[in-house]
Amino acid sequence: MLESLSRRAFVRGVGAGLAGTALGFGGSEQALAAEVRPFRLSRALQTRNTCPYCSVGCGVIMYARGDGSKNARRELIHIEGDPDHPTNRGTLCPKGAALLDFVKAPTRTKHPMYRAPGTNEFKQVSWDWALDRIARLMKDDRDKNFIAKNAEGVTVNRWISTGFLAASATTNETAFMTYKAVRSAGMVVFDNQARV
Amino acid sequence: MSTEPPPRPSFSPIGIGTESRAPFALLPDPVALFEGRATRFRATAEGALAPYLSFLAAVAEAQGRCAGGIAMLDEEAVARSLAHGMPPIDRQGLKHDAGMDVTVRRFLDACGGVVMPEVAEAARAALLADNARRHARIADALEDAVAMEDVAGFVLAAAGVQVHLAGLAAGLPAAKLAPVGDGACPCCGGPPGASLVVARDGAQGARFAVCAACGTEWNVVRVKCTLCGATGGIAYHEIEGSTDGIQAETCDSCGLYVKIMAQERHPELDPVADDVASMALDLKLGETVFRRGGVNPFLAGM
Repeated sequence: MLESLSRRAFVRGVGAGLAGTALGFGGSEQALAAEVRPFRLSRALQTRNTCPYCSVGCGVIMYARGDGSKNARRELIHIEGDPDHPTNRGTLCPKGAALLDFVKAPTRTKHPMYRAPGTNEFKQVSWDWALDRIARLMKDDRDKNFIAKNAEGVTVNRWISTGFLAASATTNETAFMTYKAVRSAGMVVFDNQARV
Repeated sequence: MSTEPPPRPSFSPIGIGTESRAPFALLPDPVALFEGRATRFRATAEGALAPYLSFLAAVAEAQGRCAGGIAMLDEEAVARSLAHGMPPIDRQGLKHDAGMDVTVRRFLDACGGVVMPEVAEAARAALLADNARRHARIADALEDAVAMEDVAGFVLAAAGVQVHLAGLAAGLPAAKLAPVGDGACPCCGGPPGASLVVARDGAQGARFAVCAACGTEWNVVRVKCTLCGATGGIAYHEIEGSTDGIQAETCDSCGLYVKIMAQERHPELDPVADDVASMALDLKLGETVFRRGGVNPFLAGM
């Protein structure tokens, strides 16, 4: 066994070399090596993701350029439908096909923005501020408009003066938690991924 | 004037809700496979590798000349292998198979008219004259293990083995083939040589790994190592500025790479011919931590 190991090399293990050298085409490999010396390798990544637009949840493959080193920023260069994804088999709708521009749009919302009543422009606010404000307004509205019983005196526990539009393209778990939180508050006007 | 009512409008089904799923395996058409490969070897024969690529074009032509008429495998044995999740072509059994030996001899004979260097011609003559040597090289080729003392003989025998395995694979029931493991051909259990991203009807953008020996193509999900099956740590390397559609798909898990060819954009790409022709990429990858994982006897490194 040891003898046969030393005698043979598995093709996979030896790395590429030109078998042609052994067949009498010597020199080709050295010439090629000299030819390619000035060139460099570039590295790209492909990453699977889910299109964020709607609750169909099409699979996408995102192409990024970058050497992967810690400080280098990757640059997204292309997005296409994932041919292996059972939902869309490589296809995308016009919105999904334009995802690259969506990601790179200069007008893309990257922070919570707030437009106060009576003003005409948005200003950037912190997440803490935004969440506190949303919670405050929801609580006030629910306290004021919650319907515990209907005209016949039957318990209904509904809150119809506020609606909730939650994320599409989320996981089952996120959809479940959203449902739990929103429905247990009595909210009726509600849509998210769990509908489909 | 006719009193007959106008015919009712009819609508043909337009296939809403039907799913186009890529076939799991595509079997080779041996004669077309080797003839196409010869054409591609000739087309790529430029630059430093031109003499070798021209020689391989002639080898592929010789392969094409003896690719027809290879007997099919025993149906019962094939069914038994498939029932047990084994590849139907038994490589071990073929080491001492008379049919395999006949095909390899026919191929070596067919190489008679090929202009080749003296070393190669001597290796060919030795394989034809010495039965034990030929049987040993066939066994090496079936194991993808290069015999260091007779590399030239190994390459020629491996080319003959490709012809026989492609012929056997062509007669298998494609629809019954099933995955036999990561990095293993569903027909012969061998490793892939390269993979192709294709633009075929019903399989747009799907990826197929191509068996280095029998030429069978099997569907492998993209962004996944074709050897170890890892889906994380996959990257794509190419020579900066190149537009040939050939990249090295590297895997951080197993540390190997297999070339992936964008046949959807470059339909002329051949998994064997362009693998040799793009050896520059291998030389560049040789400067990294990754080692070559795709098998190609014409690139059997020394």
